[in-house]
Amino acid sequence: MPVTNEKDWEPKIVAFFCNWCSYAGADLAGVSRMSYPPNIRIIRVPCSSRVHPRFILRAFERGADGVLVSG
Amino acid sequence: MPRIGVFVCWCGSNIGGVLDCPQLAREAASFPGVVYSVDYKYMCSEPGQNLIIEAIKEHRLDRVVVASCSPRLHEETFRKALARAGLNPYLLEMANLREHCSWVHAKEPEKAQVKAVDLVRRAVAKAALLQPLVSSQIPVTKRCLVIGGGIAGIQCALDIADAGHEVILVEREPTIGGNMVKLDKTFPTLDCSACISTPKMVAVASHPNIKLYTYAEVAEIGGYIGNFKVKIKQKARYVDHDKCTGCGTCWEKCPSKVPDDFNGGLGTRKAIYIPFPQAVPNKPVIDANHCRVFNNKKCRVCEKLCPTGAIDYEQQDTFIDEEVGAIVVATGYELFDWTKAYGEYGYGMYPDVITGLQFERLVNAAGPTGGKIKRPSDGKEPKTVVFVKCVGSRDEAKGKSYCSRVCCMYTAKHAHQLLEKVPDSQAYIFYMDVRTPGKGYEEFYQRTVQDGAIYVRGRVSKIYQSGDKLVVRGADTLLGRPVEVKADMVVLATAMQPAAGVETTARLVGAPVDQDGFIQEAHPKLRPVETHTAGVYVAGCCQGPKDIPDTVAQASGAAAKVVGLLSHSKMSTSAMISTVNEALCTGCMLCEPVCPYKAIEPKVITERLPGQPPRERTVAAVNSGLCQGCGCCNVACRPGAIQVKGFTNEQMLAEVDAICL
Ligand SMILES: Cc1cc2nc3c(=O)[nH]c(=O)nc-3n(C[C@H](O)[C@H](O)[C@H](O)COP(=O)(O)OP(=O)(O)OC[C@H]3O[C@@H](n4cnc5c(N)ncnc54)[C@H](O)[C@@H]3O)c2cc1C
Repeated sequence: MPVTNEKDWEPKIVAFFCNWCSYAGADLAGVSRMSYPPNIRIIRVPCSSRVHPRFILRAFERGADGVLVSG
Repeated sequence: MPRIGVFVCWCGSNIGGVLDCPQLAREAASFPGVVYSVDYKYMCSEPGQNLIIEAIKEHRLDRVVVASCSPRLHEETFRKALARAGLNPYLLEMANLREHCSWVHAKEPEKAQVKAVDLVRRAVAKAALLQPLVSSQIPVTKRCLVIGGGIAGIQCALDIADAGHEVILVEREPTIGGNMVKLDKTFPTLDCSACISTPKMVAVASHPNIKLYTYAEVAEIGGYIGNFKVKIKQKARYVDHDKCTGCGTCWEKCPSKVPDDFNGGLGTRKAIYIPFPQAVPNKPVIDANHCRVFNNKKCRVCEKLCPTGAIDYEQQDTFIDEEVGAIVVATGYELFDWTKAYGEYGYGMYPDVITGLQFERLVNAAGPTGGKIKRPSDGKEPKTVVFVKCVGSRDEAKGKSYCSRVCCMYTAKHAHQLLEKVPDSQAYIFYMDVRTPGKGYEEFYQRTVQDGAIYVRGRVSKIYQSGDKLVVRGADTLLGRPVEVKADMVVLATAMQPAAGVETTARLVGAPVDQDGFIQEAHPKLRPVETHTAGVYVAGCCQGPKDIPDTVAQASGAAAKVVGLLSHSKMSTSAMISTVNEALCTGCMLCEPVCPYKAIEPKVITERLPGQPPRERTVAAVNSGLCQGCGCCNVACRPGAIQVKGFTNEQMLAEVDAICL
């Protein structure tokens, strides 16, 4: 739930995607011309195990509304 | 301060049609560290790459950001361009504007533009912190493992062996040859399958560079590209092949008859058997499930009659260790089991409803009927035969969503063979579409139509037995009316699916499978014979349904890749692996158990601090051959002493900061 009353509020989602699976999956979504909302910003990691809890906290600190870790 | 250059690619209209690339380049110019930015139609083209190289020289750039397609596609391309400009290739960072932005947000260009700015800002922030990297050298074992001895594995093994490298070919059946040797004739030229495949099988067995293990399976694989360690399980054959001469006395006299899987269950074989007369090796194995001796009955006939004393009921499975530098997966296909899914076709209850592969055995001179087309139930020659295509293929509800690619052609072949061999016969073919992409394929199909085969466009809704006939009910969707054919036999063109056990093989070699269970190639267009695991390649139907020409072409393609790898005695490892800052490492070794590649070991160093006596201390050490750069250790390391090069904490935090701005 957004802590705001703005109607057109859009969440900002930071995603950490593993290069070998989900990042490739996101590539495939593009190649297949699927579409999804542009709220998500993907950061490539060599493996989901590279995602340090600090990265997630930092994203929230800097204003992310959601963090997606996928691998 | 770094001097960063930003290069925004239009990718024609792929990016340029959605995003405003010149605006992006202008915006990028304001990011910290950026001293030059430009947009261009095709950055990966030669003029595009030259533009980067020239800009590096002219503007003394020491970091490069290319905002274009996925780094998984062109990172290597642009790294090479950097190297040509004299920069360390790892001083490149890419922003994925195409796959992750313009293609997926084409309907919302304004929002896509905002996102694209963020993506470029992220790349610039990371680029500013990039460090030059170098890779190290590891030795390459000049030997290849090929898993599966169908035509794909055979062709691949022969090509690699002919190039002068050793090959270890592992086949789980008692003979090599796979499905191709079961076929009678092959479309579109109708040459005899055995005549073109058995000489290749013999060539494999006699090749000085090929070590063949049949009736064997790969049990374990460890290591990495250039340096795999493989454990092969040789299943007990209960026949000593060193002594056996393949004289055939044993299988002639064996009293146990077993349904013959090589003939699709249409005939019988013995419990001690060779799958077919031209099997390679031409020596038998005992099928312990059916041998009387293994079922506590009196027999030992083969042991008594064997002139060389080769029978050994005590034989055990053995394990052999081999070292190889490359692996090719060529485990092929099997047919989808229609009897579990198609109740309307009788769930396999009617003996005269058979599969295409069974039909191949019925027309094959070496098959159970000696090549006379006789139906299984009563051995009568069928006059009216109905062929049903797409059984399990293109049928998401009951089978697979994909097209099996060969059925249209082999059904045309079967209809042609029926009309040729059985006088006054009639062939009805129920189809959804006729797909004949291939050299000489359409012509072959047209010939079958001219032979008199009747093509009915529509699906078969029911098959049932009525007297000695099978009633086939369907619809002719072109004429818009129901059709009923009283047939003597029905042949189903069932879907091809990956051979059983493909998941196990995939797990062993560390290659993913796709949604249908086929081994996933590294890129559908540009890397069709590689997998996502370095040093592991793929050939034939285990990658997807295909015919023999495509299988052979892919096998030779995989062989070329292997030969390329094995032609070097050393190769460079990835530069983006973990590294230990020994000054920070406390030697807690928390990183060691988390490493999935067993790449970290403790090591003792001698530390000399000014004014103190030298002292010994344990720190973590990374094996650069084993490390895959996943970064588990990086996260586990409390003092921050281990870092993945190219994905350091500092770099990643800078990315997070930039993307959240
Ligand atoms: C009815 C029918 C008719 C056809 N007719 C034609 C035709 O006329 N012309 C044409 O071009 N194509 C035809 N095809 C297609 C042809 O059969 C295939 O293209 C070809 O056989 C594929 O070869 P492959 O080596 O990839 O697979 P396969 O022939 O399946 O060989 C795979 C081999 O790997 C072995 N294996 C599997 N798993 C393991 C494991 N884990 N460890 C070790 N070994 C393993 C198997 O035992 C097998 O020997 C036909 C197909 C069918 C079904």
